[in-house]
Amino acid sequence: MVATSPEIAIPLPAAKTSPFGPVATLARRRFQLSARTPRELVVPLLTPILFALVIAPALKTALHTSASYEGFVATGTIGLLIPLNTMFAGIGVLVDRESGAQRELLAAPIPRALLVLSNLIVAFAITALQITVLLVVARARGIHFDITTTGFVWFLAAAALFTIAMYGAAETLAARVPSTEEYVGRVPAIAIVPWFLAGSLFPIGALPGFLTWFARFLPLTHALALVRYGLLDDPTGLHGIWHMNSTAASAGLSLAVVAVFAALLTAVGVRSFTKRAVG
Amino acid sequence: MTNHAIEARSLSKTYAGGVEAVRAISFDVEPGEVFGLLGPNGAGKSTTVGMLTTTIVPTGGNASLHGFDVATEPRAARALSSVVFQEAVVDRALTGRHHLATHASLWRVDAREAADRTADLAEALHLTELIDRAVGTYSGGERRRLEIARALVSRPRVLFLDEPTVGLDPRIRVELLDVIAGLRDAGETTILLTTHYLDEAERLCDRIAIMHEGRIVALDRPSALLAELGDQIVELRTHDDAGATLDLLRRRGIAGLDAFSVGATVTIPLRNRSAADAISGIEAAGVRISAIGAREPTLDDVYLHLTGGQLALAA
Repeated sequence: MVATSPEIAIPLPAAKTSPFGPVATLARRRFQLSARTPRELVVPLLTPILFALVIAPALKTALHTSASYEGFVATGTIGLLIPLNTMFAGIGVLVDRESGAQRELLAAPIPRALLVLSNLIVAFAITALQITVLLVVARARGIHFDITTTGFVWFLAAAALFTIAMYGAAETLAARVPSTEEYVGRVPAIAIVPWFLAGSLFPIGALPGFLTWFARFLPLTHALALVRYGLLDDPTGLHGIWHMNSTAASAGLSLAVVAVFAALLTAVGVRSFTKRAVG
Repeated sequence: MTNHAIEARSLSKTYAGGVEAVRAISFDVEPGEVFGLLGPNGAGKSTTVGMLTTTIVPTGGNASLHGFDVATEPRAARALSSVVFQEAVVDRALTGRHHLATHASLWRVDAREAADRTADLAEALHLTELIDRAVGTYSGGERRRLEIARALVSRPRVLFLDEPTVGLDPRIRVELLDVIAGLRDAGETTILLTTHYLDEAERLCDRIAIMHEGRIVALDRPSALLAELGDQIVELRTHDDAGATLDLLRRRGIAGLDAFSVGATVTIPLRNRSAADAISGIEAAGVRISAIGAREPTLDDVYLHLTGGQLALAA
């Protein structure tokens, strides 16, 4: 028979701790869950690596293009990796809601936006790791990058903001669909279709006129143009979007577009999560 | 600031689509009291707990925990309380210790104190051997004990237990009732317990509110609720239509307005009459009886009297 001593029921005064404590706790929990779910780490990496190591060289050979096309496609696959990884991270939100500890976390004395923020931190870290793996593998395969310090900063900023934007989209979708099945069914429309239109495999100028115009509104188009500017020192994507002489100005404008998407989608994601979580 | 541990005033919840889950309920719970919310599935118990734990937004009225309004000061209210949900709310891949540590951290319990609490609770709730195993390997009873330990690690001033024993086997259920009784006897934690098991409520609760279709239809001490039906009742099962039998017995003056029927059973509070007189009167009325007897009323009878048998259908 179980006994409960009076001592365990005496109320305890709250300890004063850092406001970052809950975020660290939640992020640690999310990371431990992700680490126990290999699909979250491995699956999003498979397709981009396949593109970088197999498809890009094959296209180069078949289309009789130069070696720089391999770098073009390898950097283009970053635009596939980020949406796939953040969307896979969104599945964790659904698992939390359907069969995990989300309700316990909602009953905690913390701002509920921290639940989204902590998930974002982990999705961000895993995405960063995967991009690193992709670039290292691509480099080992002989793909050449032309990186300057300034260019690397543009790349980091673009990749980071685009990751934040896509995680906001993932939280929003997770909050608005009733089940994991429906979520997975919608991932291709968000993570893969834009990739084909955003200049991943060819410049957006090669698209039909109205699709070129449409592509300029996709945050991925701007992010990829910045990534290529940063990693390949290739500003043609930026010029193809803005038709300006100043590369720095074009890059600044594209980064602003990605930043606006990141801010908007994060705000919508937090709002959608809170609204869904609290009936 | 109020002295009540829990205070609800005209608390209401209407869901999108117009479903009125909770309809203007009001009650107070005193510090250290064990308060039962009793009712069938759909009575509004879990919605009430959801509003008090700030996971459901009320659409009317207000509520507070130790004076902190759940709508305007939700984080302060949550800081005072913990909840054990009706269904399992755990991360199956993580260990029991991880669950307690996460709760302690989010509720701002000092790390050293949390470690001591975890050891104490693991021992008190017989979790010591399990605490470092993934929760997915726990049995239903073990998982429920872990959830209670998790709720207690922050020493909540108000503990919500939403149908804590539902779905558990009888042995585990008895063990959990002992745990809750231990908390009640300690008297430092206010407990709001929802259940549709009347024996649990009778054993554990200082006071009980019976909910039916979103409203509180009775609120009192168990003994006072039992007293409403007198000292004895006659219960008969009939081969005839129970409703028609009840009408017949009322016309003959054998059953009063407090008598009720559920299925094939008619229950008649005796008040000051003798059981022998009532039974001979029923036989004389020509009712086709399959079984008949007299006994003391239980909370089941009180509930059925108040709600017309909904609980029996739910349980």
